Amino acid sequence: MTATEGARGRAPAAGRGAPPLPVKMVVAGGFGVGKTTAVGAISEIRPLTTEAAITEVAAGVDDLSHTPGKTTTTVAMDFGCITIDPSLKLYLFGTPGQERFGFMWDDLVQGALGGLVIVDTRRLDDCYAAVDYFEHRQIPFAVAVNAFDGRVEHELDDVRWALDVAEHVPVITFDARERGSVRDALLVVLELALARAEN
Amino acid sequence: MMAGGNAAGADGNPGQPAAEPVGRAPAVRPFLVTAGRVAGTSTGVPLPVETQVVSTTAGLAALDRLSFEHRDIVAACRRPQSVAEIAARLRLHLNVVRVLAEDLQAGGHLSVYVPSAGTARDVSVLRRVIDGLRTIPDSRGALRDSD
Repeated sequence: MTATEGARGRAPAAGRGAPPLPVKMVVAGGFGVGKTTAVGAISEIRPLTTEAAITEVAAGVDDLSHTPGKTTTTVAMDFGCITIDPSLKLYLFGTPGQERFGFMWDDLVQGALGGLVIVDTRRLDDCYAAVDYFEHRQIPFAVAVNAFDGRVEHELDDVRWALDVAEHVPVITFDARERGSVRDALLVVLELALARAEN
Repeated sequence: MMAGGNAAGADGNPGQPAAEPVGRAPAVRPFLVTAGRVAGTSTGVPLPVETQVVSTTAGLAALDRLSFEHRDIVAACRRPQSVAEIAARLRLHLNVVRVLAEDLQAGGHLSVYVPSAGTARDVSVLRRVIDGLRTIPDSRGALRDSD
């Protein structure tokens, strides 16, 4: 467990080994774009859902700004995992890509190996905020156009132009339902992360 | 609350966007169990969602004396779990689990393994993840349910 700081508590119970080193990647995109589908296509477990709470951040967001007093809103976050080997486990966290969910990203992106921004070409604006976020935080990421039904309504160059992503950011097509396609999209991101780490 | 068990769930059909999985929750209940505390106040930084948590021998021995959520968490962590997995499986808020996990750690009931911040730039880790992913075949067998 060289990359783990070690337990902050007592040793685990006898007979159980140390937990795997957990690493994570973030899958961002608008609602209905295929985040959960992509996570489910490659995860070894059915995607789990947890709730992140908006508390103080809720002020000014949508109708909550008109709600007096303290209000808590929850956002569902789906995730899955892949056991790379007994000592290394990759988690994939799906998160909404719109700006008003940005409060979740600091939490999720901290320590992430990289990000995949899934794009529906009919709703490009759903992913602007996520693209900006990954760029500003210098998180390795790729833009993946979910080519469901085998069609891509815009050429990739058009998507690149519309999103105004830097030249070094890969813009790819993939099929969120296909395990191999999701695997390859994640590998594009990881190769970027590796190239950066080697420099 | 979305169903977590369907791989092609609410987010699954790009042609028909699902309703946004956002709902208003009770303002008080989730944090009642933490006595109102929120994550990140004791140590400054909330536990990363992927943080691995394992129950200790002492924690399992004390299971009958622990109450409610504390007991559930210690029981769920006989095998290592991430903070996110605990939250999902016990249907608790992520930040509630963070607070309770730190409490249980302080009481010696849980071991909490905080991942190192430098892992994302660790070349050997990245190579292992890449090599591991490359071995994943295009097609898959049956998806197992989470346990």
